[in-house]
Amino acid sequence: MNALRLLWVFARVGAMGELAYRANFWLQLLESFLAMGSTLGVVAVVVSQTDSLHGWQPAELVAVVGVYFAILGTINLVIAPSLSQFMQDVREGTLDFTLTKPEDAQLLVSVSNVHVFKLIDVVFGLAVLALATARLGTEVGPVQALAFASALLLGAAIVYSFWIALATMAFWFIRLENVLMIFWMVYGAGRWPLGIYPDWMRWGLTLLVPVAFAVTVPAEALTGRLDAATLGGAALVASFALAGSRLFWRRGLRQYSGASA
Amino acid sequence: MAAPEPNADAPAIRVRALSKTFDVPVRAAGLRSALTSIVKRKTRAVEAVREVSLEVAAGEIVGFLGPNGAGKTTTLKMLAGLLHPSAGQAHVLGFVPQDRQKAFLRQITLVMGQRNQLLWDIPVEDSFERNRAIYRIAPADYRRTVDELSDLLDLGELLDKPVRNLSLGERMKCEVAAALLHTPRILFLDEPTIGLDVTMQRRIREFVADYNRRTGASVLLTSHYMADVEALCKRVVVIHHGRILYDGALSELVQRFASHKTLNLELEEGDEGAGTDLSRYGEVVSSGAGRASLRIPKAETPATTARLLSELPVKDLTVEDPPIEEVIERVFSAEAE
Repeated sequence: MNALRLLWVFARVGAMGELAYRANFWLQLLESFLAMGSTLGVVAVVVSQTDSLHGWQPAELVAVVGVYFAILGTINLVIAPSLSQFMQDVREGTLDFTLTKPEDAQLLVSVSNVHVFKLIDVVFGLAVLALATARLGTEVGPVQALAFASALLLGAAIVYSFWIALATMAFWFIRLENVLMIFWMVYGAGRWPLGIYPDWMRWGLTLLVPVAFAVTVPAEALTGRLDAATLGGAALVASFALAGSRLFWRRGLRQYSGASA
Repeated sequence: MAAPEPNADAPAIRVRALSKTFDVPVRAAGLRSALTSIVKRKTRAVEAVREVSLEVAAGEIVGFLGPNGAGKTTTLKMLAGLLHPSAGQAHVLGFVPQDRQKAFLRQITLVMGQRNQLLWDIPVEDSFERNRAIYRIAPADYRRTVDELSDLLDLGELLDKPVRNLSLGERMKCEVAAALLHTPRILFLDEPTIGLDVTMQRRIREFVADYNRRTGASVLLTSHYMADVEALCKRVVVIHHGRILYDGALSELVQRFASHKTLNLELEEGDEGAGTDLSRYGEVVSSGAGRASLRIPKAETPATTARLLSELPVKDLTVEDPPIEEVIERVFSAEAE
């Protein structure tokens, strides 16, 4: 509850900050439009050559793109800007202000910077997802919808844990801007269902960088491909990831307060 | 965890043999050692704070003096819960700072003159609002505090301006206000007036003094500007190489460490001490146009004054303590010897 309260506070502050530069809204709109357009364009090229890709129908592939954008937007909305801000604060020493606030420090740094315009990606993603689902023609029952929502939530939790763990390394290495790029370099692969990739890559995209959980699993849930075992596995991974990254964060914080001048 | 209930007579801050050692990476110059350090880092232990003990009463303002790297900020950070001490204990309002309990953090504040917590792009008051939400200040209390602060610091026109449009001094006033919205009982001020012009420095100083009077908050202040310390702190703690060299009244510091006094002479016109070699009396700091300043060892001051008055046509003579900066410098050099 407290997390939502703080998220709301920072979202409001973030909105005020961004509205100071209105032109950015239009730029973001254009950027999201182009990104979505080009991604769908590639999908269109592929499906013009084949009816199904590794068992995924055209509309299902579009659904994957929708999930991909919704998650992308969510990361860029709060996780990425907040954690970049955090790493900058470590470098510049302004993290001290955060650490003297009477709130959980991990929570504060995780929501401290909200780029509201990135909601556009989320909205585009969800809209494309809705269109694709309508195209599928199959009824999305309550069980499927629930599975989808859970998979999405679990995916978000796993991605968040991954990010916070990467960012926490700043406590030791101070200068580490590029580490967040690791995620972006790999995340692009999530535009396609993981099944189309060779085995070694699938493993990497599941275990090293959790693209599978973020995009493919929710998409599978929506298209009726997901079995209970996978969902259960995702829940397990999410719990471990959250707990593990929390522990890691604490170690990092301890390191920071032990070593910085 | 239960919040300790501080009793009124207990010192607000109690520090016993507090030490902090950092492992600082070291490497020799050159590419080779730069490459080696990627794989294997050598570190060296640096004792930033050594066995510091002190007590600060509720409502007291204490100035921390010391050259750069003396350990002032490190001490402050340990007391604010930002750094874990390597040894020793600290209690602030009955809390152990590094436990960072919410009840503790709600009662302290930190102002760093060289760093900002206000957000760059949004109006000042929106940054205030963020702090209001984090500290969960009731809207009525918040309104009252903001009104008070903006009266005292003259913030009226600044509140709805984006921070990037403020001057350094204006920004600092807003930083101070933002740090006090939750009416903390302990203020850690690390160089709060650095880089400000004289008027703005005085403004901030007067405000801190006033806040201390009104709320009875304790203030720990580090500053490079002696004027800050002279105006605010009856008590100073002089730190050098991580150790406390002096802890006591500011006036006492001058008494104890000033070895010399300054004699300012004005001689009768027409006789500007021509031919008189003033260096017979003491070290000539300046002379000319019928005036001179001499630096005299403290013990010899009465005798020298008498000699000057009897041997020269003195029109006016004043005896002064040396400027505090000089005294402090002496404290540091005495320790180095």
